[in-house]
Amino acid sequence: MSRADREPEPKPQDEQSLLLRLRAGDQAAFAELVQANAGRLLAVARRMLRSEDDARDALQDAFLQAFRAIGRFEGGARLSTWLHRIVINTCLMKLRTRGRKPEESIEVLLPKFYSDGHRIDPGPPWRTEIPDPVESREVRTLVRASIDRLPEIYRSVLLLRDIEELSTEETALLLDIKANTVKVRLHRARQALRALLGPHFTGEAA
Amino acid sequence: MTARKLSCRELIEFLAEYLDDELAPEERAEFETHLSVCPYCVDYLATYRKTIHLGKQALAAEAEILEEVPAELVGAILAARSRSAPG
Repeated sequence: MSRADREPEPKPQDEQSLLLRLRAGDQAAFAELVQANAGRLLAVARRMLRSEDDARDALQDAFLQAFRAIGRFEGGARLSTWLHRIVINTCLMKLRTRGRKPEESIEVLLPKFYSDGHRIDPGPPWRTEIPDPVESREVRTLVRASIDRLPEIYRSVLLLRDIEELSTEETALLLDIKANTVKVRLHRARQALRALLGPHFTGEAA
Repeated sequence: MTARKLSCRELIEFLAEYLDDELAPEERAEFETHLSVCPYCVDYLATYRKTIHLGKQALAAEAEILEEVPAELVGAILAARSRSAPG
């Protein structure tokens, strides 16, 4: 179940009637669709693209694509889920065409092992009283900045799987990679994020 | 029958499958045997889980804060649609 699927459920007959109006080209229906979904979808684009201008562009492109494709929407999924996938796809296309910034190697953030399989330098345990990011702006900023330090191929998988809550198969399809590659990248992304956050939660960060 | 001894490296390699409940019963038993004797891996598992939780919570909270849609953006989307609509 993805984040989009957890939105308040519109009544099926309401969604069906909105769809009919959209297909008939009813301007008020388009306004309704945008008003009901733009906030949540802008948040998705902001998470993926980090730039406000790019996120707004992506949202506009995504809605225009959706308007053009509304005749092909089969109604098997909910409109909000369908729009969510279009926004993610638009953001991924923007990320692919955007100039690559210098990236840190993920290897240095992964655990190291002795030849007998024991971990080298497990490090101190994390403090138990980590503030909840919902309440702490400082933790939220730290986590966001740490996710953004991940190389893009890992960051995209982490965002799609753990944050947007897409399935492994959907993520593989959107990124045009194998399902097993999604699993490997997700695991490495989480390990790297853990390593980036660790010093802040063990008291080791300067 | 005793479970095969898993190394820390193997345990960490299969952490995501363990959390997704994708390990076969005998692999899960090996996993849990290792966890029962290795505080370092118990700690790694806990902080790996915490990392996932922190990511979800931080970005979900951020989305709630940012969920206001600028009116001019809604207007721009609808205006672009009117321009591109046939007829």
